Amino acid sequence: MRRGIRTVLALVLIAALSMLALGGCGGTTPAEPTTPPAAKLKAGMVTDIGGLGDKSFNDLSYAGLQKAEKELGVEIKAVSSKAMTDYDSNIALLANDKYEVIFCVGFLMGDAISKAATDFPSVKFGGIDIFNGGTQPNQLGLLFKEQEAGYLAGVTAGLLTKDTAVDPRINKENVIGFVGGMPIPPVQKFEAGFIAGAKSVNPDVVVKSLYSGSFTDQAKGKELGLSLISQKVDIIFAAAGQSGIGAYQACKEKNALFIGVDSDQYLTLPTPGDTVITSAMKRVDVGVFDTIKAVKDGTYKAGNMTFGLKEGGVDLAPWHDFESKVPQTLKDAIEKAKAAIIDGSVVVPEDPTKA
Amino acid sequence: MASPPPGIAEILNTVLQPDLIASSLRIATPLALAAIGGTICERSGVVNIALEGLMLIAAFFGTAAALAAPTALGVSPVAAAWIGVLAAVIAGVVMSGLHAFTSITLKADQVVSGTAINILALGLTGFLIQVFYDRQGTTDGAATLPPLFVFDVKASGALGTVWEWVNGMFLGHTPLVYVTIVIAIVAQWAMYRTRWGLRLRALGEHPRAADTVGINVVKGRYVAVLMSGALAGLAGANLTLEQVGSFSENMTSGRGFIALAANIFGRWTPVGSYLASLLFGFAEALEIRLQTFAAAINIPPQFFLMLPYVLTVVVLAGFMGRAVGPAAVGKPYEKE
Repeated sequence: MRRGIRTVLALVLIAALSMLALGGCGGTTPAEPTTPPAAKLKAGMVTDIGGLGDKSFNDLSYAGLQKAEKELGVEIKAVSSKAMTDYDSNIALLANDKYEVIFCVGFLMGDAISKAATDFPSVKFGGIDIFNGGTQPNQLGLLFKEQEAGYLAGVTAGLLTKDTAVDPRINKENVIGFVGGMPIPPVQKFEAGFIAGAKSVNPDVVVKSLYSGSFTDQAKGKELGLSLISQKVDIIFAAAGQSGIGAYQACKEKNALFIGVDSDQYLTLPTPGDTVITSAMKRVDVGVFDTIKAVKDGTYKAGNMTFGLKEGGVDLAPWHDFESKVPQTLKDAIEKAKAAIIDGSVVVPEDPTKA
Repeated sequence: MASPPPGIAEILNTVLQPDLIASSLRIATPLALAAIGGTICERSGVVNIALEGLMLIAAFFGTAAALAAPTALGVSPVAAAWIGVLAAVIAGVVMSGLHAFTSITLKADQVVSGTAINILALGLTGFLIQVFYDRQGTTDGAATLPPLFVFDVKASGALGTVWEWVNGMFLGHTPLVYVTIVIAIVAQWAMYRTRWGLRLRALGEHPRAADTVGINVVKGRYVAVLMSGALAGLAGANLTLEQVGSFSENMTSGRGFIALAANIFGRWTPVGSYLASLLFGFAEALEIRLQTFAAAINIPPQFFLMLPYVLTVVVLAGFMGRAVGPAAVGKPYEKE
């Protein structure tokens, strides 16, 4: 009998502690004071496993929300997913809390969003990287032409790897590298664009690609980076969430150069510096903000929207420390590539095997 | 796809580099530390499924201490990193104390207690990043431990090649990589050649018999669980303070569970755990290098990512007989 009581006691203790910790990051904000007079629009987001603080994709979506908070007076909230099994409950958490617009951030949430769109018909969903192939009247897919941003990164790396005069860390070998997270379409589109862009300016360049299979495993990302560098790679482009931070560490340690992804990673990496040439930006914030604005203006339409260079949905980040080092020929080549993509004379492939 | 498919020679030339072994050692180190911790813990009769969570908590507090030390104590970056390692070990011990308390003193189910700690660790670290650094997901960059042996020696000829390989494979690692090998050997010796080791094994095989000859079961198990916490703490320190220099949520990515497998594969012996971890590390290092050719030979990267796990299954199922753990593992001890 005594033993039974002790077991129960132990379990209660453990449950209480886990609740405390989990509650802490799920957001233990005490109940909001009941609806303010001018019923604010409530917009929320559910992150992918990388979570807020990935310094790229999820953070950027949140930046879109924050912009909406400031400029449109929207009430916002982000809920982090720790595991793929959290998606459904996190969406339900926001929906039950009367959030009218909910963004699901990331390709992996595809199943969760279509289920939620059926369960909560009054909520308007925005699925980042999630193609809406169904007939859900309340689901909008926000898609990005990652390949176009990757293409610009490829032009950059393709030209720089030949130009040993730009930086002592650039070697004589004509080899550049790509590090991906999970091999899923948004990441593979970056890779495809990167290869195509590099070959457009440097047909003989060898592009070595590695996938970590994870968006959270920094140490694996670093091993991939070290492996590429030992194979004569001098510039690495990483589209791998926090695994990419590991690849960046490898570049820093072994004197190679790095191209970031999604946001301007020069501003967001831990201890950044002159290792980062630029970043292939995916302006998820633009997509998120535009969608909230559409809901507010009553122009929200279900279906899919694609954001490319033309729509301001992708771009190349500033050069920062490389501003003065990068030759004018490269800057011109980037402008030329941008113009060609926008006017349609260059169509960037989406499949790495066809790049 | 302009380039022709690579020949066997090119593949071998890429794969068979000193870096392959160096990479295996690096990948194996956190696995081995946690696995040896698991071995000691399970030998005492306590299942420690919490290794993953212990590593995570330790990795976080190690990074936090290393980040705080330079301003708080005015120490150099390297000293700060060592303070971080110490903090990681302490964090691992404290957290494992919780596991020891619930599973030994309160006699709760050890798997439930361990699972709770894993969930707690994931939530707690995510929450603390926000509290400490006012943002979510990743901490700032901390100082890391520099490699132990760096020789700027160049030799030519056959001797030069030998030197290049030895240097590339075994030298230039960070301190904990070597410490782990020492720990594996010392733990093996202690477990089979000392009184402490004999008693430890008795606790896991037949705690009642141990009790009747006057061994304090509760105390012995506490010590073992706390030791596993210290080793998991070192594993966490290796990930953040030697390998990457910053902590991010869930960065252990299942290493604690692979360590448990390595412990079983190593047949509950410290050196066996180390060698099993080294095999897993080698499989992953090999996978990384082979994956470079994924596009050229038209095999999707997923196939390569799967290889280390396939190897694990094949080795476990094919080359190893039945693995038998300590007889009393997982059973709380009831004194009559």
